[in-house]
Amino acid sequence: MNRKLSDLIKGFLTYFLLTLGAAVIVVPLFWMVSTSLKGSDALFTYPPDWIPRPPVWRNYVDAWRMLPFGRFLLNTLFITVLAMAAELLTTSLVAFGFARFQFRGRDTLFFILLCTMMLPGVVTMIPSFMIWARLKQVDTFVPLTVGAWFAWGPAYIFMMRQFFLTIPREMEEAAIIDGANIVQIYWHIMLPLIRPALLAIGVLAFQGNWNNFQSPLIYLHSTDHFPLILGLKFFEQSLSKEAPMWNYMMAISVLMALPILGLFFAAQRYFIEGLNVGATKG
Amino acid sequence: MSNPYLYTLVRWVAVGVGMLLLMLLTYGLLRAFRARRSTAAGYALILPWLLGLIIWQLFPILYSLYLSFTAYDVLTPPRWVGLKNYVDMFTRDTRFWPSVRLTVLYSVISVPLGVLGALGTASLLAREVRGIGFWRTLYYVPAVLPAAATALLWRWMFASRGLINSLLSPVYRLLNMEPLSWFSDERLVLPSFIIMSFWGVFGANTVILLAALKNVPKELKEAALVDGAGPWTVFSRITVPMISPALLYVTIMGVIGAMQNFTAPLFIATPSSAGTFLNVYVYQQGFTQFKMGYASAVAWFLMVLILILTAIVWKWSDAYVYYEGELRQR
Repeated sequence: MNRKLSDLIKGFLTYFLLTLGAAVIVVPLFWMVSTSLKGSDALFTYPPDWIPRPPVWRNYVDAWRMLPFGRFLLNTLFITVLAMAAELLTTSLVAFGFARFQFRGRDTLFFILLCTMMLPGVVTMIPSFMIWARLKQVDTFVPLTVGAWFAWGPAYIFMMRQFFLTIPREMEEAAIIDGANIVQIYWHIMLPLIRPALLAIGVLAFQGNWNNFQSPLIYLHSTDHFPLILGLKFFEQSLSKEAPMWNYMMAISVLMALPILGLFFAAQRYFIEGLNVGATKG
Repeated sequence: MSNPYLYTLVRWVAVGVGMLLLMLLTYGLLRAFRARRSTAAGYALILPWLLGLIIWQLFPILYSLYLSFTAYDVLTPPRWVGLKNYVDMFTRDTRFWPSVRLTVLYSVISVPLGVLGALGTASLLAREVRGIGFWRTLYYVPAVLPAAATALLWRWMFASRGLINSLLSPVYRLLNMEPLSWFSDERLVLPSFIIMSFWGVFGANTVILLAALKNVPKELKEAALVDGAGPWTVFSRITVPMISPALLYVTIMGVIGAMQNFTAPLFIATPSSAGTFLNVYVYQQGFTQFKMGYASAVAWFLMVLILILTAIVWKWSDAYVYYEGELRQR
């Protein structure tokens, strides 16, 4: 009896805390959506209006039209997809090299790779900018996409290598006996096997590029080339500077968050797997 | 350039193909010099990363060290000025020390609190109650959202007539005080950013710690309970030591991230007397004031600061972190 009671209290407490945490997450998000559906005269009511009556759906259309957000969306997609594709291909090749081949200095190099995970990006920012400026590529999408061919993201390489290590060696040995070369082994045997890792890192890389703010801010100057995030910044700085148009800014924020949220709910498993492969099997 | 997409696409494809050719060339050359097959393949495969390391990390770090001893305004070549940037930074620049203070205090307070919060949340999510999958999904949402969007949301909630002050107004009336102005009040900038950082408790760190908790062998805990240990003893003597590598990982990554806080402060206007986050300060000095030499000096200072903090965490953790299979000398 006593045991049962304490279990009951424990269960109740668990749900209570879970709900409390959920409220901390949901309430601000709800406020974001609610604000995005308010008329500008209804923003500062007291007590706060949780459900706008009537909801002003037009806000989304109006906000979208105030700046060329269609163009911004296209730019974001373009940058994200190119960078992600190059990252996936090169990080998987590099990880393949570290995981499957014996060569002198490999472990030292891999240790250096782990150290670069901790290298603060702030010191490389200015010289990198100068390289791209020297190559006359500032204010193009090149610095944000072409650089990814250099296996961006030591963490992705690390995660991918951990995954390669779990694949039994017999798979390749059989192929080598059959006369397959390294490219064939990578393409026909390894790629299908590491599909879960590719998906996990693909999702993380997509999110990273989509949400990236610092590099676009440094490299892109003309409005035509802005991704969504710079569009939002520009909106906040210009049209919405003196009297912040919170309803429009929240509408744009919601629109910017939706694709990522959609991707997260669709590919949740891979998101979480990606994080775990990197951190726990180390 | 008429079409920016085509312009980029051409270069993207060219560099990609070039990289693959370089890899093949490396393989061919190494083989020609009678390297073993696995040596040649290994070096060829890691070539993109190796080139990236040299071009985008080693060279920039050294070059930025050189720049920190120069005056450089982008238009004219860098001019050697010796230690002037560092002397100015430490003695003349009135915005520098408040910025260091803000950045360091923010990291030192928000990271430990954040790790503790994530540990608590992870322990909660590790319980096998019904519908736990739903909660785990929900708790990850804040980490997925763009930092820019959440920064704007928090600025809006903390506005002087925003949601937080509305909800707190009974408290204000009870205590007979003026509503707080959060991000606009120089004394409240730091606490406001720290409160905002709590949202990051949910998300990546929680997921990592949750996975670590799940890896703790059940038998170990059960054996301790049978031996009469209380739940707190089990947690502090078994669970925490077992997950300490994951705790160290999230702490160090947290410190590195917090010290380089950038997106949120750029979307949230604060009085400059409260200090500027150092990463933002580097950006402002370099890219809006065009003092690239000075900005490089601040960047180097920030890097050294991060290394020191990381080293402290590392050293301190040495006594606590437990790695399986490691032999300890006592």
